[in-house]
Amino acid sequence: MPDDQSFDLAGCLDRVRKRDQIAARELVEFLHPLVIRIVRAHLPRRVAEEDLAQEIFLKMFTRMDQYQGSVPFTHWVSRIAVTTCIDQLRAQKRRPELRMADLSETESDFLERGITNENDVAPDDALAAKEIVQKLMEMLKPEDRLVIQYLELEQKSIAEISALTGWNQTLVKVRAFRARRKLQRFYQELKENEPA
Amino acid sequence: MNPDETSFQRLLAAARRAPPSSDEAAPFGFSTRVAALAFEPRGRQAPVFGLYSLRAAAVAGLLAVAAVAANFTAIRGAFDEESAVAAGDDPIADVVDIGS
Repeated sequence: MPDDQSFDLAGCLDRVRKRDQIAARELVEFLHPLVIRIVRAHLPRRVAEEDLAQEIFLKMFTRMDQYQGSVPFTHWVSRIAVTTCIDQLRAQKRRPELRMADLSETESDFLERGITNENDVAPDDALAAKEIVQKLMEMLKPEDRLVIQYLELEQKSIAEISALTGWNQTLVKVRAFRARRKLQRFYQELKENEPA
Repeated sequence: MNPDETSFQRLLAAARRAPPSSDEAAPFGFSTRVAALAFEPRGRQAPVFGLYSLRAAAVAGLLAVAAVAANFTAIRGAFDEESAVAAGDDPIADVVDIGS
């Protein structure tokens, strides 16, 4: 988020509650990086990121009166963003399977070569790896996908994930364990189908 | 750690090294549009109108059913009279009567 320290969030929220449009615009601009990161991490296929971000912000304004201040405002907005994305992902069918033919040339090249040293990864390989992981994640349930994104890709702690999603820490741990096992199985199946 | 686990770990580690999408600022006009939509008065009026329309339709339906129930005997009586009159207005019987 830009200028996290200098932005007067409490003051801005007060003005928004008094239906100040300028404050509403400032709030959207302040929160956009946070919301767009969540949207990009959980964007369903064929949904425009701007449309989904707009839906999240409109929900935030509609429910503004329900915000009691028990959690930081950014966490509260994150939860709205996460649930909105999960609802969108539920509406879309999960990818039934991932085959080598579904991968781009760069991605299949990367998979065939493998990674010998994870500390020395070329930028193109990193992007290919990210694309493969994202495609594998499309086979997971939305909640599993979310927990993998936060835990494995963004390396957030269990406590942070719990705060962002509203799930208790035990649930996060159980979901993370199951989701990781499923993702690894999908990856093995993809590798086994690799042409010799 | 088995080789499959190592390979998977390496894939995740490589994916983490991918640069994040750089442009996270709101696109031009986005915040203005969202703020305008959020405070749009029609957004509140439309659901209220819809809510009262549905309630009005439900009340009208109940009143119609109550009216039919309250006047049921009168309505049935009217139909009985009509059928009695219809039976009396037999055109064939009239023709036979004229011929005789």
